[in-house]
Amino acid sequence: MAIDNRKPPPDLLASRSGTGRQATGDDVLRLDDLHVSVHGGAATAVRGVSLRIRPGEIVGLVGESGSGKTLTCRAALGVLPDGCAVERGTVSFAGLDVTSLSRRGWERLHGSHMGAVFQDPASYLNPVLTVGGQLAEVLRVKLRMTRREARRRALELFEAVGLRQPERVYDQIPAELSGGMLQRVMIAIAISCDPQLLVADEPTTALDVTIQAEVLELLRQLRDERGLAILFVSHDLAVITALCDRIVVFYAGEVVEAGPTGEIAQRPRHPYTQALLRVASVGDFRRRGLEVIAGQPPRVGADITGCRFAPRCPLAVPECAAGPIRSVLAGDQHEVRCVHAARAVTAS
Amino acid sequence: MRARSRVTGRNGPGSVLRLPSARIAVGVLVAIAFLAVFGSALAPQNPLAINSDALFQGPGSHHLLGTDYLGRDVLSRLMAGTRLSVLTALEAVGIGLVLGAIPGVATVFMGSSVDFAVNRVSDALMTLPYIFFAVAVTAALGNGLPQAMIPVGILLAPPFFRVTRAATLEHARAQYVEAAELLGASRLHVVRVHVLRKVLPNIAVTTATITAAALLAVSFLTFLSIGVQPPTPTWGGILSSDLAYLAQDPWAPFIPAALIAVTVGALNALADAFRDRAHAGRLVIADPIIRTDLSLEGADGDRQPQAAA
Amino acid sequence: MTAISLTRGDAGAAGAARPRRRRGRAALAAIGGGLAVLVPIVFLSTFITYSLGALSNSNPAATILGQDAATPAAVARLDNALGLNQPLVVQYWNWLAQAVHGNLGRSYFTQIPVSQSIAQRLPVDLSIAILALILAVFIGGTAGTVAAIRRGGWFDRGVTIVASAVTTLPAFVVGILLVVLFAVSAHVFPANGYVPPSAGLGPWLSHIFLPSLALSLAVSADIARQLRTSLVQVLEQNYIVGARVRGLPYRRILFRHALRNAAGPALVILGYDFPQVLAGAVAAEAVFSLPGLGQLLLPSAQTRDIPVVQGLLLVISVVVIVVNLVVNATLNWLYRTGGGVGA
Repeated sequence: MAIDNRKPPPDLLASRSGTGRQATGDDVLRLDDLHVSVHGGAATAVRGVSLRIRPGEIVGLVGESGSGKTLTCRAALGVLPDGCAVERGTVSFAGLDVTSLSRRGWERLHGSHMGAVFQDPASYLNPVLTVGGQLAEVLRVKLRMTRREARRRALELFEAVGLRQPERVYDQIPAELSGGMLQRVMIAIAISCDPQLLVADEPTTALDVTIQAEVLELLRQLRDERGLAILFVSHDLAVITALCDRIVVFYAGEVVEAGPTGEIAQRPRHPYTQALLRVASVGDFRRRGLEVIAGQPPRVGADITGCRFAPRCPLAVPECAAGPIRSVLAGDQHEVRCVHAARAVTAS
Repeated sequence: MRARSRVTGRNGPGSVLRLPSARIAVGVLVAIAFLAVFGSALAPQNPLAINSDALFQGPGSHHLLGTDYLGRDVLSRLMAGTRLSVLTALEAVGIGLVLGAIPGVATVFMGSSVDFAVNRVSDALMTLPYIFFAVAVTAALGNGLPQAMIPVGILLAPPFFRVTRAATLEHARAQYVEAAELLGASRLHVVRVHVLRKVLPNIAVTTATITAAALLAVSFLTFLSIGVQPPTPTWGGILSSDLAYLAQDPWAPFIPAALIAVTVGALNALADAFRDRAHAGRLVIADPIIRTDLSLEGADGDRQPQAAA
Repeated sequence: MTAISLTRGDAGAAGAARPRRRRGRAALAAIGGGLAVLVPIVFLSTFITYSLGALSNSNPAATILGQDAATPAAVARLDNALGLNQPLVVQYWNWLAQAVHGNLGRSYFTQIPVSQSIAQRLPVDLSIAILALILAVFIGGTAGTVAAIRRGGWFDRGVTIVASAVTTLPAFVVGILLVVLFAVSAHVFPANGYVPPSAGLGPWLSHIFLPSLALSLAVSADIARQLRTSLVQVLEQNYIVGARVRGLPYRRILFRHALRNAAGPALVILGYDFPQVLAGAVAAEAVFSLPGLGQLLLPSAQTRDIPVVQGLLLVISVVVIVVNLVVNATLNWLYRTGGGVGA
């Protein structure tokens, strides 16, 4: 379902570079067997994660807290916290291996080729500077604009992401703006230099439901009009299914299932995914947050032989704990890491 | 588990001695105190004895730290000078403690306008440099070290005021104080028994640091020959004469400088140890001076980074 | 511009002034409040300093006249002329009124106007103090920044040790040691003496460099320690990550985002330490033989030249308080948007 031709740019949300960034088929982001350790190497929090994002694709990472999805997207961005490191595997951006990229290299990639928005936008902006100033700063530094040009473009961008009264917002500091407005500001900053990839780590989790819907719509618009690929992380499966083209399900540091949204939503093969879908389908959103899946995920980095979901799985069999579970292809681009799926595949 | 004495147990005053740096510091300070009392008697030579045949001698068997510009034994002069320096420093600390701690406890109970006014006065006092006032006092009251240290003491009061006020505020509102008052105890009694006991550790910290400051002040004043007449030996005075004869003996100042530094350093280390003891609720205490990795926390208490989910 | 907000969730819109002006006004109000508190304090400290002089139980008239001429009648006449037989508060008021006009009286002994003596010597101490603060910002700022960036490394630990060591030594001791190292042994800088800037910028700087350096080290230690702590905290904040993912260069993030927010507490130290630096200048005068206020104060105190002592104390108090005010005001203005560590 990749977008392979773009509409001519009608408005400011569209790409300015005009030229196709790379040939269709080159992944914007590719993770291969990624292992990330934490606590200075004491524990492995992300194990063997592989995923690809094509140009213009929206890929969703879904899972509970501690499942490794945030660490994975941080690794993809090159901003792992102190004490965390990529132990094994590779991260590639547009065909370029960035696993051990230097600081300078990341400076060149960030902003111009990949942008990011995070869960608590206020904390990711400098509290003493105006939000307009911070956007203009990026434009002046990365795109070499003059002050006047940068201010003008910043105002345009603010308007494009849906901020009413952009001139007023320009002069305000983060503390004076609401969460929804700040998230729009962050999106404006993230796309200001026309990147190919936007990494969004729980961008709507802290927002009202109505604002949430608006932001999701904005992201969709950005993808449609400029071919922006998006890596979207959330623990809310409902949001993921609403927005994303493909879903990657995380559990305890591993990818347990991945595939097109429609596939996963209608034919989930992994017991954990099935449970998640059951939880998400509960109409009353207040109950949705409660723990419906009995039990707790394993401790981060725990050494477990076999399937890490087995203790909580209603379909667990002795074979689950025997050894590492391979990931098998169980349908069109649909991968599952489960012995039952593997059995079904070999049987067919 | 074997029983521990009340002094060296977890919460007794002797618990300060758990840290190696604190033990060294206390040792140094005890030696200094000893010198302050018995220094003149213990000095190997007469600190005032002039010997024109033995000027500027380096360290040797006869004069362990050498001789000065008049052939006097440096070691003896240092030992003899300890008394005056230490005693006047303690005088200033005493003045500061009394002038600071009493209002510190009292203003908490005396209404917000009094509190405000006293606070502003304390802030103003903290900004003023003592040296000018110390000199001015000698103009008014005569050239003596005890007089000169009075303004020093006054200007050292604000830290005590702040500390006792903060600690009193914290504890005076505690429930057990209200309970005690309800049970009929008078305010003064409550203050004396409950609040003072809690305030003591913080006062100990401040006393140690202020004593260090007072010692530095004494050295400064005696360096400028304020309050003492030669040939009375004082640490600052020795430094001053060393300076005058720098050409003949360039390395002489290092000795009294080292003595001052060691004493002040010991006081600071003691203050740090008291500070840790005052926060005894924390899990593990890391020695702030000498690294003993007792816990995952670094010496300055930084947390280890948490992994993101 | 309507007062009703049409934007959803726009919290601060209703009827308020433009954001920048609003914040500026609040800062000015804070500064005004500070001023109001400080004025009575100026009065209080000047009164105390004045009384100290008057406390002297010596008889200034007798001192001036000299032992032989000090007959009771002569003393009484001089007392009257000098206004010494009036109540203390009146004397204080008269003196203060004169002081505001720049008249601080004359020395009992030399008859030179006090204000003149002070004006001659104040620049010496001020130049040393200011240079010391500038040096402290550079030395302490650099040390603190590097220590924070390479936190836990050998530099960090070294800075902590050196900073602790430096603060155990009084400024004049540091000065002496510097003289030993750089003047006597190595002959890089002059060991003493002062040369006014009018005689050449180079010689002036070379004469005040060592004294300023001696004074700056203690302040540098304070600044370095404080800056390290603040900067470490700031660097852990999310907005630093935010700046990184925007692709801003490292140096820019460090200076324009991290240091700008972390520098506040360290700069406060400057204002707080300035009086100590000024006092240290007195020490420096003694060590480096500089013609400053201390060299005026000490002999005047010994000879009980009261007007000089009083005048000096007044000038010092006022300078200290003014500097305090200026520093506080500047910091309030710089951080009027309320940022800084942990904001």
